[in-house]
Amino acid sequence: MKIRFWGVRGSFAMSGREFLRYGGNTTSVELKTDAGQRLLIDLGTGATELAKHLMAAEFGKGQGSLPILLTHTHLDHIQGLPFFTPFFIKGNEIRIMGADPISGLSLEATLQNQLDPHYSPLNGLENLAAGVTISSFVPGGTIAVPGFVVTTARVPHGSMWTTAFRIVADGKVVAFLSDVEYPSIDEPLPEAIELAKDADLLVHDAMHADKDYELRRGWGHSPARAGVVVAERAGAKRLALFHHSPDATDEMIDEVVGRTAASTKVSVFAAAEGAYLDV
Amino acid sequence: MQISFWGVRGSYPVPGAATVRYGGQTSCVEARTASGECLIVDAGTGMRALGNKLVRESGGAPGQYHVLLSHVHWDHIQGLPFFSPAYIPGTRISVYALLTAANELDQVIGGITRHEFFPMPLEAVPAQFQFHQVEPGVDFVIGAFHVTPIALNHPFGSVGYRIDADGQSWAYVADTAPFDRVLHKQHFLSGPEPLSEDDRVALAAMHDALVARLRGVDTVVYDTHFTPDEYARFPHYGHSTPDQAIAICAEAKVRRLVLYHHAPAHGDDQMDQIAKQYLEKGEAVGVEVLTSFEGMTLPVGPEAAA
Repeated sequence: MKIRFWGVRGSFAMSGREFLRYGGNTTSVELKTDAGQRLLIDLGTGATELAKHLMAAEFGKGQGSLPILLTHTHLDHIQGLPFFTPFFIKGNEIRIMGADPISGLSLEATLQNQLDPHYSPLNGLENLAAGVTISSFVPGGTIAVPGFVVTTARVPHGSMWTTAFRIVADGKVVAFLSDVEYPSIDEPLPEAIELAKDADLLVHDAMHADKDYELRRGWGHSPARAGVVVAERAGAKRLALFHHSPDATDEMIDEVVGRTAASTKVSVFAAAEGAYLDV
Repeated sequence: MQISFWGVRGSYPVPGAATVRYGGQTSCVEARTASGECLIVDAGTGMRALGNKLVRESGGAPGQYHVLLSHVHWDHIQGLPFFSPAYIPGTRISVYALLTAANELDQVIGGITRHEFFPMPLEAVPAQFQFHQVEPGVDFVIGAFHVTPIALNHPFGSVGYRIDADGQSWAYVADTAPFDRVLHKQHFLSGPEPLSEDDRVALAAMHDALVARLRGVDTVVYDTHFTPDEYARFPHYGHSTPDQAIAICAEAKVRRLVLYHHAPAHGDDQMDQIAKQYLEKGEAVGVEVLTSFEGMTLPVGPEAAA
């Protein structure tokens, strides 16, 4: 299994020279099996870059098929949806899966609101030419998509919840815990540790540098150290710091990685836009 | 009066090496009078950096801010929840917008921060928001600014603004399609639809009113999202080309045109070519054509004699 980060930024897309090495696009992560099957997590602005690659191949001919998992529907995780060009080609089959928001709206109604005529000239999901199915699941179960088996769990994110994933393919395991804040950093939730158990790669929310965390406790995001604690308890082999703050320049992220790596035996790196990485 | 560009991109923010020079953030322009009065036009992602600057300037004191919206598509409102002055208690933010559908403005703007999309709903934000409905043809005054709303041609409606202050005049014309091929209404277009005679009359009236209101304006910021080739493929998307903007500005005898709302796919090198090509094309018809980039500030010249 390979992983490619198309967007690693949290909250807000950042352009400019200070964000070139790690990248300024909001979250979107592609997983690919050795046989070439794909699974996408989240539709932040990074998804618009992936879209260009997909359109150059089978998706441009209306012959593509793609499952997409959403962690939740805050804008930085869905703002690429109206510009994800495979949606505009008839014949493509795209399946979006996620939990219903806790507001009482369904996932489908939420995405329909995103494309409300006030906000988008697309004027509704029904105008996407591709075959699009939107299905809600209740976190805690298992989802099978071609090539992947995904276990889901509900984790706390400020006043709401997001969905975390354990993704198994080709005998490898990726645990994906973005947009999460545990009640105590030193005591991560058992569900999170279970999800990351012996993972080859743990991708974890690291929105805040440890030194900035106290001021932002309760905002729904983790300091870099939270991922380290989960990785150590779970026996994960590598840790990718993810969902970087929009205020974090490349130099600031370098510093967080250096400090975090020095604090643990787990192999640590910061997720960056770029090439496919072997899990 | 001067204008500063905080976001010049259309559709969605575009980070990366290709947008370092022209910028990747979406629509947001700040106007300032000589005495320091501030008016914000559009609340795209460029508004985040503007807000941070305003808080630095005020030292964190509450203030009163005025925001004109051309319309409420995501690329023109997405910066609002990240506008840091909104989180300072005592701040007042007045938002002016066209009512494009049945909902009230507070519901439309409030809708972008509803629970599914953003952690904090609008009613929980410390700043006090006021909403004002604008109507093309009905001018209004905000402090030193005299504002003239102008109807534009865009899906579900959009409004441009002529803004006069300090005896100087500029206009914000985004988002708009040209006024000949497609008339945008309140329904989804999968392609250009044939124009009825009524449609042609409506388009001509919109064109004439725009030209009349731009007459004498020194600087016009115009939606020039598309190259001519792109426009030919997507005439129903609601955006113009620099050629179409130059024609309008030449007709209205505008001194200076600023290309704006750049397509996400237009990287810096292509923008350099566009800037050079249209500077020359503008010269040929007596319009100075500049291409906006993030961080650009322009002094607005005096209103021309009629």
